[in-house]
Amino acid sequence: MKRKMIGLLLCLTLAISLLSGCKKNDANSTSGDTKPTDAAKQTNTPVPTKEASNPVEKKIQLKLGIWPEDTLTDDINMHKEFVKRFNETHPNVEVVPAYYKYAVDTFVPKAESGNLPTIFESWYTEPQKLIAGGFVADITDNLQKRGWLDTLNPSIRDLLSKDGRIYGIPRDGYALGLMLNVELFEEAGLVDANGYPIYPKTWDELAETAKKIKDATGMAGICILAKDGAGGWHFSNIAWAFGATLTKDNGDGTFTANVDSAEAIAAMQYVKDLRWKYDVLTPDPINEDWGTGFANLGVGTAAMYIAANDAVNQPTQVNGLPVDKLAMCALPAGPNGAQYSLSGGTPYMFSKDATSEEIDAALDYLEIMGKAPVATDEAIAGMKADAENRVANGVPVIPRFPCWIVQKVLDAESQIIKDYGNVDPKMFESYFNATKQSGNLRMEEPGSAQDLYAELTKVLQAVVTDKDADVAALMQKANANYQSILDDLFKK
Amino acid sequence: MKEKKKVPKTSWKKKDFLGWMIMLPSIILFAFFVWEPLIESVRLSLYTAKGIHTEDFVGFDNYLRVLRHPDFMDALKNTFVYIGWSLVIGFAVPIIIALLITETIHFRSLFRVGVYFPNIIPGLATVMLWGFFFRPGNTGVLNILLSKIGIESQKWLNNAALTIPLIVLTMTWKSAGSTSLIYMAGISGINPELYEAATIDGAGIRQRIRFITLPSVFSLAKTLLILQVIAVFQILYEPLVMTNGGPNNASISIMQLVYNYAFRDYKYPMAAALSVMICIVLIILSGIYFKLTTKKED
Repeated sequence: MKRKMIGLLLCLTLAISLLSGCKKNDANSTSGDTKPTDAAKQTNTPVPTKEASNPVEKKIQLKLGIWPEDTLTDDINMHKEFVKRFNETHPNVEVVPAYYKYAVDTFVPKAESGNLPTIFESWYTEPQKLIAGGFVADITDNLQKRGWLDTLNPSIRDLLSKDGRIYGIPRDGYALGLMLNVELFEEAGLVDANGYPIYPKTWDELAETAKKIKDATGMAGICILAKDGAGGWHFSNIAWAFGATLTKDNGDGTFTANVDSAEAIAAMQYVKDLRWKYDVLTPDPINEDWGTGFANLGVGTAAMYIAANDAVNQPTQVNGLPVDKLAMCALPAGPNGAQYSLSGGTPYMFSKDATSEEIDAALDYLEIMGKAPVATDEAIAGMKADAENRVANGVPVIPRFPCWIVQKVLDAESQIIKDYGNVDPKMFESYFNATKQSGNLRMEEPGSAQDLYAELTKVLQAVVTDKDADVAALMQKANANYQSILDDLFKK
Repeated sequence: MKEKKKVPKTSWKKKDFLGWMIMLPSIILFAFFVWEPLIESVRLSLYTAKGIHTEDFVGFDNYLRVLRHPDFMDALKNTFVYIGWSLVIGFAVPIIIALLITETIHFRSLFRVGVYFPNIIPGLATVMLWGFFFRPGNTGVLNILLSKIGIESQKWLNNAALTIPLIVLTMTWKSAGSTSLIYMAGISGINPELYEAATIDGAGIRQRIRFITLPSVFSLAKTLLILQVIAVFQILYEPLVMTNGGPNNASISIMQLVYNYAFRDYKYPMAAALSVMICIVLIILSGIYFKLTTKKED
């Protein structure tokens, strides 16, 4: 009997401890609420002077998901300096470094459990998905108050808003261009008298240039992606140059797939030729994604890569290409001279749980970083710190894409590039000239871009692995598939 | 009569109360971490959702969407192709290994450790390792080896017809060892007198295997066959890492489709709908499994 009682007691304690374990978790997750009560309990004890000077304001937490990752010590030191300056004007804000690299498999659990940092970076493909899922905060009013709304570059504003409300602001804008590994161009003798790489101006020239490089160095001429959505994303830009439009907006809320047009098929045939006629691709395009593309370019296993200006640190700082061996030119023109650059932005977005004050604090922090549309002394100091950091780490200091249209900011930026420029502007001249031409920048295809990219990626995989692939038939199938997805999504 | 009925009832209660109390913590755990999410995902599959929060009841719309999606037929077909190839390539291998090792006299435990070895490598490491072997072009390990004997480089995983068999080969390399341990255990349970008698009667090694060993492991093999089918039906990370479902959907599996819906597109209701469908298939397969195993015990 005694033994039974002991057993029973043990079981009960186990069950109770289990349940109380759950309860403890609850308490943790609302620690934000419990803290003030703790403080309230201690009203008898003297409060720190800082708070005494401002007794009504309660301490708020700013979790910075944009904190640099642990290995980038220089960047961290720079941010520590930012925090020091930030706290001079915001004594009531506790800045918490909460480095978060956006990843699709961690994002939703983090958001749903209320553990997202106040501010974090995302990717070009994500904002609409995040807005639809209700994971990010509406910051329209905060921007309105600051007068930032009208200074946003309209194309980027579209990317970050839904039904007229804005959910993020750009860290950088970007436009796709062609990155060149100058070392390989030199090795293949493709440089002019002044040492500048002779870059291709049409897609046909690109194939020939790539062939020359492959013959001379044994390395791939160009890295074409075919692993995931990024493959279709890059391809849509090639298709535009060939005259294709991949989705038609019917204007009534529905869309028509237009993947099997003659122009799109010609563009896909061109990619197929790169693999089988010219043989200038990396060995395994279906395992190349955004990151491996930069690795190939940076370490010199591919000479050209479609990429954007906001990622110049990838081949250089991350993959070790000397800063003066990176060049960037406009994407080549198609058979009829059409030339476009796909543009978008890398956004800062805000946790859905962030309060208006927390969002304001985050926006103030961005001002200090020099990433906001203001040209205060603080902001300029932030820009300078960023430029110094880039120089120290061998990252090209080049003009930012104008995501804010404020002349004062643009002037301040160009002054900083003049002061800190560590690369020959001629290496990037063709790229920036192209993006300034009217009609050059083009936004992603309307409809359901991600599904379009998924379909295109399948075709890309088929044409780079199968010499006998029937391009027209594959594109027709992709068209039918994409149309069925569009019908599912948009027809009521 | 009444008295008699009452007595066993109360003793049942007394006897089992402590048992139930012992089980209580795990029942709570199960309810909380297994059953509740299961029921929740069935519910999710019948609704539209914002993120993972359900909004409107839409009945079987999500199921129809999944069925209409262009990738669905490819994934379903591939999953059965995976099962087919895993039976062709993977089913006999552990039996053969087990037979060979049990018939070996010297270094038996060395071989046993040897075949189990790939099992201790983490799954992801295995598929990445074989990814390097199968790389196309002249940087792949297999192609480098083949070039030494003058055979030109192959496309391996990039060849749509070879992709699935090669992925199955990788899986077999990794897990055949542990399965063969089960067979070895089964074989060691056979009464040695049978072998002695057979040997005295003049049976050779082939006859011993055919008339004693194989019939003895037959019911074990039947069970493992169903388990294998259930396991391969849920193949996910091998194609995800080695080919990402490519080229042109040649290796996409049904579980990868779930992964794509949930973690690439954040379309949780569709992912839930497809999961429920997979669950139903697996319940049927498990039913068959239970039937087979209970027969064996009888």
